[in-house]
Amino acid sequence: MGRRILVLALPLFLLGLGAVGAEKYIVASDIPWAPFEWASPEGDYLGFDLDVMRCIAVLKGYAIEIRPVAFDSIIPAVVLGEVDIGASGFTITAKREEVVDFSNPYWLSNQAVLIRKDAAFKSLDDLFCCGHKIGAQRGTTGADWVQSNLVDKGVDVKLVLYETYPEAVLDLVNGRLDAVVQDEPASQQSISAYPELKVLDILETNEYFGFLVASGDPKGLLRKINDGMYELGLRYDLSLPAEGQWKVKFYIVPGSPWDYLVRAYFGPPLEKVEAAWKACIGTLYDKGRTPEERVYEFAKCLAEKASE
Amino acid sequence: MTAVDWQNLVQGIPSLLRGLLVNLEILFGLIALGFAVGILIALIQVYSPRPLSALAVGYEWFFRGVPEMVLLMLIYFGLRQFRVGITPFIAAVIALGLRSSAYQSQIFRGAIQAVGRRQMMAALSVGMTRLQAIRHVILPQALRLSIPPWSNEFSSVLKDTTLASAIGVIEVFKKARFIMGRNYALALPIFMVVALFFLFLTYAGNWALGALERRYRIPGFEAKGAGERF
Repeated sequence: MGRRILVLALPLFLLGLGAVGAEKYIVASDIPWAPFEWASPEGDYLGFDLDVMRCIAVLKGYAIEIRPVAFDSIIPAVVLGEVDIGASGFTITAKREEVVDFSNPYWLSNQAVLIRKDAAFKSLDDLFCCGHKIGAQRGTTGADWVQSNLVDKGVDVKLVLYETYPEAVLDLVNGRLDAVVQDEPASQQSISAYPELKVLDILETNEYFGFLVASGDPKGLLRKINDGMYELGLRYDLSLPAEGQWKVKFYIVPGSPWDYLVRAYFGPPLEKVEAAWKACIGTLYDKGRTPEERVYEFAKCLAEKASE
Repeated sequence: MTAVDWQNLVQGIPSLLRGLLVNLEILFGLIALGFAVGILIALIQVYSPRPLSALAVGYEWFFRGVPEMVLLMLIYFGLRQFRVGITPFIAAVIALGLRSSAYQSQIFRGAIQAVGRRQMMAALSVGMTRLQAIRHVILPQALRLSIPPWSNEFSSVLKDTTLASAIGVIEVFKKARFIMGRNYALALPIFMVVALFFLFLTYAGNWALGALERRYRIPGFEAKGAGERF
């Protein structure tokens, strides 16, 4: 009897072992795009998206590998199955949803129009004319906005596309561009790095960010990601609009890991976040505690050290 | 540059060096592949009957004619299309290695032809087979003659390894871009550091190849260097 159980149990055990060993997913992210994802000077990959991914992986018991991929190559890589998850501040759009599946939304963003302080533009009307050069990152909704709302409608502006966002900002600072269109949090980050820049105006695009996986979710990751975000403390206040665009209100549980991660990444300067991250990341992989404790301690440590 | 910028620059150097190690790994992979295939192509072009040698000429024409960047895309994304699992690193070694093999084949072909047909005839007349003659008579001389032009190819492919960043290999150029993206003020200094790395490597590589050339020189048979034989 005992032998038979053993004979039955052994293949099951090996199967389980194989599954544990195989459960590693590759997360593609476009680095650098602070504060959502960037590389510290020492070469660590950090950022809000990446730490959310790390925390969910700990909660759900799988491993991740973060792979930097150019923004416009992430969706093709996910479609081809080269990577499993795209975590790079992706706006959920109908066009993208044709080829990939999105998680629940996790962030609401608008586009900011970044200009130099010394520029003469008083309003968007001054800027969107006269052959002015507007920079954006290739494949982003910011680039899409300029293309479909200005260029396609015959407004006299020139859209200049860049592979990474910082290169566009650099050209704005150098005077080769008149403006850069990019998501608000990243634009705020640029202003803190470059005081000579300012936001001219905000384009109320109401974009929701989501994590993305291959169409049909062949590896069953969305459930884990959505559950994980809930466990981290992200809630939704779903009030369906009377007309037009659906709108999701986010509600963050105070004192939850999600709350701490937001506080850590959106506000403190990058070097503070980096120092905090280096000091705290160990707690996330401290095998002596439960996954929930590890995630909570890590997020709390990060928020506290970053805002010291 | 502010104190923080300097600090970030210094902090970034270990990360850059780890990136440079990846470039060196690509370099050794592609040189080895290019060397092996290059010699084969050269021998086929010189000694094989028509159909085979025409094929080798076609190979060389293709890999010398197509831009490296296109080759990288062809091999990496092209194979991906057919669900052939290939890492960016391996794709870079293959694409750059095959490209280099075409250039190296011309270096070796020139060197083999410089050794001269009469030596082959002499070797055959003392009873060697063709392969023995190539192995013991032709190649030892041809390889010596090919070191100077080969060092030129070495410098060229060393720099080409940065192209691998285009298909997602995280090497020194990509790391420098990460650092620039993190701190815009480092745009100029960080690429100066990368430039210095490569200047050092080309210098060290060419010095080593020069030493190799001197070490294996046969008096009277060296490639004609400036002022040596005139």
